[in-house]
Amino acid sequence: MGSVSIRDVRKSYGAVEILHGVSIDIADGEFVVLVGPSGCGKSTLLRMLAGLEEISGGEVAIDGRVVNALHPKERDIAMVFQSYALYPHMTVAQNMGFSLKLGRAPKDEIQRRVSVAADMLSLKPYLDRYPRQLSGGQRQRVAMGRAMVRDPKVFLFDEPLSNLDAKLRVQMRSEIKQNHQRLKTTTVYVTHDQIEAMTMADRIVVMHDGIVEQIGTPLELYDFPNNLFVAAFIGSPSMNLLGGKLSGGAFHAADGTTIPLPFAPSNIEGELVTLGIRPEHFVIDPNGIGAEIITVEPTGSETQVAMRLGGHDVVGVFRERVTAQPGEMLHVTLDPQRIHLFDGKTGLRISRTQ
Amino acid sequence: MSDATVKLKRTGLPVPLIIIGSAVLVLVCLFPFWWMGLSSIKTLRELYTIPPIWWPSMPTLDNYYTVLFESNIPRYFLNSVVISLGSTFLAMILAIFASYGFARFDFKGKPLLQSFVLVGQLLPTAAIIVPLFVTLRVLGLVNTYWGLILVYMIITLPLSVWMLTSYFRAIPVELEEAAIIDGASRLGVLFRITLPLSIPGLISVLVYAFVTTWNEFIFALVFATDSSVKTLPIGLAEFSTEFNTDWGAVMAASVVMTLPIAILFLSMQRLFVGGMTAGATKG
Repeated sequence: MGSVSIRDVRKSYGAVEILHGVSIDIADGEFVVLVGPSGCGKSTLLRMLAGLEEISGGEVAIDGRVVNALHPKERDIAMVFQSYALYPHMTVAQNMGFSLKLGRAPKDEIQRRVSVAADMLSLKPYLDRYPRQLSGGQRQRVAMGRAMVRDPKVFLFDEPLSNLDAKLRVQMRSEIKQNHQRLKTTTVYVTHDQIEAMTMADRIVVMHDGIVEQIGTPLELYDFPNNLFVAAFIGSPSMNLLGGKLSGGAFHAADGTTIPLPFAPSNIEGELVTLGIRPEHFVIDPNGIGAEIITVEPTGSETQVAMRLGGHDVVGVFRERVTAQPGEMLHVTLDPQRIHLFDGKTGLRISRTQ
Repeated sequence: MSDATVKLKRTGLPVPLIIIGSAVLVLVCLFPFWWMGLSSIKTLRELYTIPPIWWPSMPTLDNYYTVLFESNIPRYFLNSVVISLGSTFLAMILAIFASYGFARFDFKGKPLLQSFVLVGQLLPTAAIIVPLFVTLRVLGLVNTYWGLILVYMIITLPLSVWMLTSYFRAIPVELEEAAIIDGASRLGVLFRITLPLSIPGLISVLVYAFVTTWNEFIFALVFATDSSVKTLPIGLAEFSTEFNTDWGAVMAASVVMTLPIAILFLSMQRLFVGGMTAGATKG
C-alpha cells in the first residue's frame, strides 16, 4: 500500500519561496503526473517527496506515515532520474541489485529479484554489460529496473524520457504505462510534456509558479480547465483564446466580430472576458464567421488551418479536407457546447451554471 | 586501415614531419636517462674522457656494487620508501575527506577556507624552513620518520585537495542522489560510488604526492641529519665531497632512485586515462 499525502507543502531557498503551499492527495496505486513549465516547482516537489530536498513547511506522508524528517532510504521510495544516474562502474545486474545489496539481502534473493525485473524489461541479455555499452532506451530500462527491484511503496519519475528521441519516447511511454498496470505501484511522474501527462496519467496535477493550478483526470482538465493557464497548457495545438466583451448574450471580439453564446451569465454583462475554443471545435459552415486563411497544413487524417478570426490568430483542426488557399476566407462556427469563458481579470473559468 | 580511409585527405601536418617531431621530443626527454644509465656502467676513466665515449669498451657493474654494498644508499632507499609512502597515504586520506566536503557541501566560509588551503603552497620554502624546524624540535620530531612525513604531508596536501575537489565535482551529483535513494549513507556514497569513479583522479594525486616527496631535498637536508632517516636525494649529495665526486656512483644511485618512479608511472599510466564516467548519465 502506498498512498501519498502532500499537505500545504512549501519550499524556500533563503527568502525566496518557490513552492507556495501545495496540497495533493494520491491514492494507492494511482499514476499521478506533475506537469508544468520549467521552473514551476514540480521537480522540487518530487525531490522533496524523495527526501533529496528539505521540506520548508507543510507535511508529506507516505502510506499514512509523515516522512518529513526521514532519510530517503527510510521512505520506501524508488526514483528514476532524468539522466538515468546509472553507476558506471557496475554492470547492469549490479546496478539493479545495488539497493538490495546495501540492505544486506542474501545473494540468491538479489539474483532472483534482479532476474524477475530483467525479464519484465527484456534486459536479460544485458545483465553483464556496463551502462556505457547500452543504448539510451536500454539505460532507461535499467534505471526503471533498479527502481522495480526494490518493490517500493512509491515510484518517483523525474522527466525520465527527456533524453530519448521522439520515437523511443513514445515506445517507453507505453512501456512505463504497461509496467504500472502490471505492478500497480503508486507512481508520481514529473514531466513538462503535456502529451506525456495526458497519455499516461490517471490524474494530472498542473503546476505553475509554485502553486497547483488544477488537479483532475486528463479529460477533466481538457474539457473543463479551471483557468486560462490550464486551458492554454493542456492540449496540442493549444486552445485558441480570444479577448473581448460580453453583452446581450453574445461575445464581442475587439474587432467587432460577434459570437453568439448558448449561455450568458448575466452577472458579468459588459465585463471583459476571454473566450476559449479548442482547434477541433471549429465547424466549417457557409453561414459562419469569415476567417482569413493564413496557412493550410494537411496531415492526411485531418487538416490544420491557421487563420485570422476576430482580430486573433487562431488554429482550427478539421476532419474534412480543406481545399481553400491562403488568403481566401473560410467560414466557420464555434461548437456552442464547447465554448469556454474565462474572467478577463482573474483568468478563472466562468461556469455555465452561474 | 582500409583503402578508402587511406585515400582520404589528411588535414594538418604531413606524417613524416610528425614522426620526426615526436622523435626529437622523445630523444630530448630520454637523453638524460640514457646518459645516466650509460654513465653508471662506465669506469671512472671513461667518465672523464673527452670527447665522451658513447659506449663503454668495458661495461662494469662496479658502481652498482659500490652503491649497493659500500654506501648508505640501501638504508636511504628504505627511509625514502617509508617517508614517501607514509606522507602520500596520509595526504591522500585527508585530501579525500577535505575535497569531498569542498565538492559536495555548502557551508559558511567555504571559499575562504579553500583559499587558505592554498596559502601554504604560496610561501617560499626558505621562509618556512626555520619555523618548521623550531616546531619539529619542540615536538621532538627532528630526525624522525614522523617529522618528515608530516612536513611532506603539509607540502603535498594543498594541491592534492584542489585536484581531488575538481575531480569530485565533475562526478554527476545524480549518481550520489541515486545511491542515497538506494539506501547508502554519506560514507557509503563516498566509498561505493564517488571513489571508484575517481580512480584516475586518485592516481594522479598519488603519483604527484609520491614523486614530490621522493625527490624533495631541502626539507630532508634540514630535518634529517641522522643517517637513520636520511632520504635518497641526500644520499646522492653525499657522493660529492669537498675535493672529489664519484660520478659513477652518483649515476648508479640515480638509476636506483629513478627506477621506482619509472615503474610507478608506467604501471599507473593506463589508469590516468579518464572515461570512467562515460555512460553514467545521458548518452
